[in-house]
Amino acid sequence: MRMAKKISHRIRSLFRKGAVEQELDQELRFHLERQIAENIAAGMTAEEARRAAMREFGGVEQVKEGCRDERRVNFSEAVIQDVRYGLRTLRKNFGFTFFAVAVLALGIAACTAIFSIADAVLVRPLPYRNAERLVMVWEDAASYGFPHDTPSLGDFSDWKARNEVFEDMAALSYSGSFNLTGSGNPEELRGKIVTANLFSVLGAKPILGRDFRADDDVPGAVRVVILSHELWARRFGADPQVIGKEIWLNYERCTIVGIMQQSFQFPDREAELWVPARFTKEQLANHGNHFLNVVALLKPGTPLKTANANLETIAKQIEKEHPDENAKIGAYAVPLREEISRDSRPAILVLVGAACFVLLIACANVANLLLARAAGRRREIGIRLTLGASRGRVIRQMLTESLLLASLGGGSGLVLAFWGIPLLTSLIPAGIAPLSGSEVNIRALLFTFAISIVTGTMFGVFPALRVSRVDLTSSLKQGGGRDGVAPGGRRLRDVLVVCEVALAIVLLSGAALMIRSLQNLYHLDPGFRADHVLVMRTPLPRQKYEKFAVRKAFFDQVLERVGHLPGVVAAGYTTWVPLTNSGGATGITIENQGVPEPGQRPIPNVRVVSRDYIRTLRMKLIRGRVFDEHDDTATQAVALINETMARRFWHGTDPVGTRFSCCVDPTEKPAWITIVGIVGDVHQAGLDVPARPEMYLPYQQSDFGYEPEYLAVRTPGDPMLLAEAVRKEVWAVDKEQPVADVMPLANFVDENLVARRVQASLLGSFAGMAMLLAALGIYAVLSFVVTQRTQEIGVRVALGAEPADVMRTVLSQGMKLYALGAALGLASALALSRTLQHSLYGVSANDPVSFGGVIILLAGVTALACYVPARRAMRVDPMVALRYE
Amino acid sequence: MSKPTDLVQGTVDLLILKTVALEPMHGWAIAQRIRQVSGNVLQVNQGALYPALHRLEQQGWIQAEWGESENNRRAKYYSLTKAGKKYLRDEQANWERLSVAIGLVLKTA
Repeated sequence: MRMAKKISHRIRSLFRKGAVEQELDQELRFHLERQIAENIAAGMTAEEARRAAMREFGGVEQVKEGCRDERRVNFSEAVIQDVRYGLRTLRKNFGFTFFAVAVLALGIAACTAIFSIADAVLVRPLPYRNAERLVMVWEDAASYGFPHDTPSLGDFSDWKARNEVFEDMAALSYSGSFNLTGSGNPEELRGKIVTANLFSVLGAKPILGRDFRADDDVPGAVRVVILSHELWARRFGADPQVIGKEIWLNYERCTIVGIMQQSFQFPDREAELWVPARFTKEQLANHGNHFLNVVALLKPGTPLKTANANLETIAKQIEKEHPDENAKIGAYAVPLREEISRDSRPAILVLVGAACFVLLIACANVANLLLARAAGRRREIGIRLTLGASRGRVIRQMLTESLLLASLGGGSGLVLAFWGIPLLTSLIPAGIAPLSGSEVNIRALLFTFAISIVTGTMFGVFPALRVSRVDLTSSLKQGGGRDGVAPGGRRLRDVLVVCEVALAIVLLSGAALMIRSLQNLYHLDPGFRADHVLVMRTPLPRQKYEKFAVRKAFFDQVLERVGHLPGVVAAGYTTWVPLTNSGGATGITIENQGVPEPGQRPIPNVRVVSRDYIRTLRMKLIRGRVFDEHDDTATQAVALINETMARRFWHGTDPVGTRFSCCVDPTEKPAWITIVGIVGDVHQAGLDVPARPEMYLPYQQSDFGYEPEYLAVRTPGDPMLLAEAVRKEVWAVDKEQPVADVMPLANFVDENLVARRVQASLLGSFAGMAMLLAALGIYAVLSFVVTQRTQEIGVRVALGAEPADVMRTVLSQGMKLYALGAALGLASALALSRTLQHSLYGVSANDPVSFGGVIILLAGVTALACYVPARRAMRVDPMVALRYE
Repeated sequence: MSKPTDLVQGTVDLLILKTVALEPMHGWAIAQRIRQVSGNVLQVNQGALYPALHRLEQQGWIQAEWGESENNRRAKYYSLTKAGKKYLRDEQANWERLSVAIGLVLKTA
């Protein structure tokens, strides 16, 4: 109550100043008049009474000032005055202000943006109701080189049926591309093929329509789809009437049954629709095909350890039941949060570090500017002190100025961050940040803002304290602001510059390492040529193509027709083109090598391909021959193997001409397959992932349970120009055949590198900013030094110093700072570059080329930054300099 | 513009509070009353009186209201607030304890 009254009183004093002043005047005048009346009543004349009253009262103005003081009007007024004065000086030094504000704004915006993203991916709870109990379940096939393997449907079904630890388990099939046709322009959408219970496992519900039901998820059920909120809004104008409507997805009729809520994303922000998987009984019992993602909901209170023990027991049972397919395959669960941030954590942490560095450099720069300015203002401060300003008042005024600067920078940074974060989020691929945190994170913003304010205060106070201690007479006498600056200030500024250079070196070398890795990857020979190749998927509907002969006929005809299209160099079918993150593997027995123990058998990747596939992708034939038109069902079964497989399983002997069998049961008569050639390794799983043992089998002979799906077409021109013609040929063979994922093969390469590319370019731009700021820091220091020493330089020149000597002195001063900073930076960079290890490729963490290049580059930039003030020093006219006083 | 020392300031505050505790009063009347009641011993000069009034108002011990004076002029009347009454009680008790203590020291020493 009293507090409220006090505050309202204070506010009135400050803002209704006119009224308050008038009242004060009235009050005192009343007093005087009353006294005069009293004096007259006591018998004085009017004139005497007046004079006596005035005398007794004392100075009216002093009394007023006393009252104002008591009301604290003075303090508040002084602050306003300081702010006004500060703004005026900042406006007058527009260049300085603009630079300082821009530097701070950039630093704050970069930091806020990166912090927001890091927070969304690494810290904030996942946006699913059951987040705490969600896990992903994986197969542990470490003995075959897949410690984190996608489970097979057979394993999934068994886990689901037998476990005692999960409330429910859901599965997602590989990410699909869906061609939306019918209403409006055809559009390619990203979607997921999921089991019907996925949303209930996650704890999510559609906001409109219904969830999938179990009967949506059986073979032959009516096709249904649930759309993301974004897709619904973008494509269907958020019309609630779409529920129950039919759309065409991959040329099949689908009924929209539900719309998810706005922020729902799973498994990443790219999925725009979900369709039930409708797995068949046979598929659900298949233990050989590993392609699922499995999400499970732990029963409340079940620890992860218990779940893992249970999974391991079940895995042992499955191993007994399917010794051929499941030998040495374990199972384990990983919390969903860990899973989602697993790949992105190191990349994001590196970016967070880089952003912090930029902010640090920005702060160092502003500090430097403030110090320089304070030193240049000694004379002004001296005059103000002489005219009676108190030291506190001078300090307060300088502090106000630096705080103003910091808040201007912080404010602009805030605007920049709000504007830049959606941009940055869209730049960052789902591979780095699976779930978007596209909104500005207020905590991050406040944090960086606070840092800028602290910088402003710290570096505002320090020079203020020093400068206000100036010896009045000396500062006034020396004038011009060219007096020797106290060595302490110079040293501090030198330290700041050295730190800036060091930080810039660290960032630049990180960026250089990333860029070199990226370059290596782009120039790396992945074993195939991705350019000028068109790919599309033609998954054959099972019912229609149940018989091997029918499938074979389809591939024969499509290849025949496409091969004759004008502009087609070669066309081939394959189960999976490289870099699709899919594949199959199967155990083999090699003739004359004895029967291996279960779990010891070689398990190479399997790709079932057409004759010309090797030629279409320009893979290298190392030995032997590729498939030819004679390889058919009637002739001996043949295979091509890659170099790694030849090396790994044939141990130096020549595999060409030898035989192996995919047959597992030793009692069965093996169906021998003869190796006719060795091809070069292809990086299937990722450009930076070395090849596994791999074999290629011709689809004409058998498909071994893997059916070719990807059609690849090589052309001399733009592959997309062929898309329509190739599609037409497919439809000429079967007009109902769905065609999906039509795109250049090069897209897969790009997609494979996008995370690295973004990381490299972000790090690169941070490093660029750092370099610029460091150069400006050095420039600022040297310019200041040159200005300070104009007189001294003049004397030297007058005494016969050569201009070149003068220039050398200045240059060497700048380069000395640089050398110190570079040494410091190099040491830190070498220590820190190990954190980048995971994203480096073909370049060591202490690559001399990167580090050397960075040091030379920054040396060049520094020399340039030194040159400008050095030239000014060289041109000092001794007469002018000496007469300047 | 020299400020009175703390003791003097505190004393003036106490005198003002005690005076306006009787009835709402304007500045001139407060000064008059203090002089009369103290038998012309205590004289609060205007340079101390008005800043003190504004300070006490600022602190919420007294409140001001414009009203008609005895000679039909607009004058600013100060009166004690509830918080001010309590404050006055406490301060008066303090003062009495202090003066008794000082008296004891002066008598015995």
